[in-house]
Amino acid sequence: MTGLDHSPSGLTPALAGNVPKARRSGLRRVWHWRGYYLMLLPGLLYFVVFHYLPMWQAKLAFQDYRIIGPSIWVGLKHFRALFESPVFYQVLWNTVLISAMKLVILFPVPVIVALLVNEVQGSRYRRFVQSAIYLPHFLSWIVIAGVFIAVLSPTDGTVNDILGLFGFAPVPFMTSEGSILWVLVFSEMWRSAGWDSLLFLAAVMAIDPQLYDAATIDGAGRWRKIWHVTLPALVPTMATVFILNLGAFMSAGFDQVFNFSNDAIRDRIDILDTYVYRMGLVGGEYAYATAAGLFKGVIGMAMILAAHVVAKRVTGKGVW
Amino acid sequence: MAASRIRKTPFERIEYAIICSTLLLMVVVTVQPILNLLAVSLSDSAEVPGMSGLAVLPHGFSLDVWQVLLTHPQVLRGLANSLLITVAGTVINVVATTLMAWALSREGLPGRRAILIFILVTVVFEPGVVPDYLVMKQLGLLNSYWSVILYRGVFAWYLIVLIRFFEEIPKELLEAAEIEGASPLQTLWHVVAPLALPAIATITLFYTVLHWNEYFRAMIYLSDTGKWPLQVVLRQFVVEGDKSLMVGLDAMNKYTGGSQIDLRALKAGMIILTLIPVLAIYPLILKFFTKGTMSGAVKG
Repeated sequence: MTGLDHSPSGLTPALAGNVPKARRSGLRRVWHWRGYYLMLLPGLLYFVVFHYLPMWQAKLAFQDYRIIGPSIWVGLKHFRALFESPVFYQVLWNTVLISAMKLVILFPVPVIVALLVNEVQGSRYRRFVQSAIYLPHFLSWIVIAGVFIAVLSPTDGTVNDILGLFGFAPVPFMTSEGSILWVLVFSEMWRSAGWDSLLFLAAVMAIDPQLYDAATIDGAGRWRKIWHVTLPALVPTMATVFILNLGAFMSAGFDQVFNFSNDAIRDRIDILDTYVYRMGLVGGEYAYATAAGLFKGVIGMAMILAAHVVAKRVTGKGVW
Repeated sequence: MAASRIRKTPFERIEYAIICSTLLLMVVVTVQPILNLLAVSLSDSAEVPGMSGLAVLPHGFSLDVWQVLLTHPQVLRGLANSLLITVAGTVINVVATTLMAWALSREGLPGRRAILIFILVTVVFEPGVVPDYLVMKQLGLLNSYWSVILYRGVFAWYLIVLIRFFEEIPKELLEAAEIEGASPLQTLWHVVAPLALPAIATITLFYTVLHWNEYFRAMIYLSDTGKWPLQVVLRQFVVEGDKSLMVGLDAMNKYTGGSQIDLRALKAGMIILTLIPVLAIYPLILKFFTKGTMSGAVKG
């Protein structure tokens, strides 16, 4: 059970005699931990069957799918078809646009919410606010889509009723190309602004109160304290959250888009994941859709790894 | 800030009022749409067509919508399916994740690092939904509840959170248990799990929500509509606007003595019904997860 177990035996002749013994004690070490390996078994089996088998299955991107008999290798045929398809570029653009809009517009919102919540002194009011604003995070996108279809309805929706009070004509937000992207951004905010602020709130509360006392003595008001004490303390959290968001960039929120989509605006918000679903699982073009999915998977992986490296450089620790 | 409470200028009072009302606006925007749907579902069916989206109280009062929903075969099946998938899935998740996290929290375990990387690879690289589907097909799990229950057996993020928690437990306690001759499983059950109970409770709640909200895998793996969970029924009815699923069988007339139920009210009721279970466990989520941040004015 010493460090000898790990030494690459055989490098020095003197150690050569120890090889069988070292191997035996290595096995004995594994045997000693057998109970733990047994406990790992169900989980490992899950990862092999439901994650590694699909990775292996993804080789279909380079094949033609056949129901009977082995699939035939066709090289990059499906990728060539993908990159020659104008629809693919539209879908890629939509994905990038929706993700970028959400990232840029929504990034500051949870920080602001956390700062506001932190200013509340009455603990009952604070609990009331927090209890309400965290809730939407736990609702499914189907429920949220149902809520937004109702709220944005041109005939009896809340928003159009309010617009009506000011004399505006009703707008069919869910079915017009001009507004659907903003509906996606706003519904994402409705769902996440509260819950995402929790991480920042925890970071704010971890700030040493003495820093605030010192700032007060220096004559700093509420806003100067926020600017000079609170925000600088939030930078590492902001960096981590930004980078995590970047890692999910290529997904652009499949569940949201999938449930907010309708015939009138489908082309406008069709993203990579909805495209893969429609081509593959609805259209039965398994190999082509696998190629599109693999493209997204590889770009996504590259972005996560890049984000990890950047996170390590900026905050001193990686995403995991 | 505690210090500013000592003397407040009028300007500071106004500032504070603005902060509190901004948050109040946020609360209203979050809660009002849900209250509106609840109100619509409880209103007299004759009043529903003219109801404003701003209403938060029912116009008239009628339980017709709820009577239809709670006796509708497709809704009841959906409820039963959702409960089955959620309970079975969560039990499997929690057991598998806890066992795995306990083993992987032991630093001496040979191969620990390799196994962690083996798991992280699955987080970083996702081959897409088509290979997932084809594997499920090859396993013969299509149209079986198992496909939806097992596809997310261990969620890597929750596993990592739990490993972190288990690592915090003092080593002396674990060594003491080992000296007493406790097996790894006994140590987990008697020493580790009781100490990490809040963490285990939290992942249990999060898994429960994940399963309850699952619809996509159910949609693609379960072709038999009789196996659909409630979310998929809701999607078909409200998002896809497929009325035949809900309104077939003359259900409307049957339960309401011929008076028509407004479709809008039925949709509203269906949305509320689907979010009730989440609402039911939500207080527990707040209790375990946000405890530390809920009381103000302690620090700063």
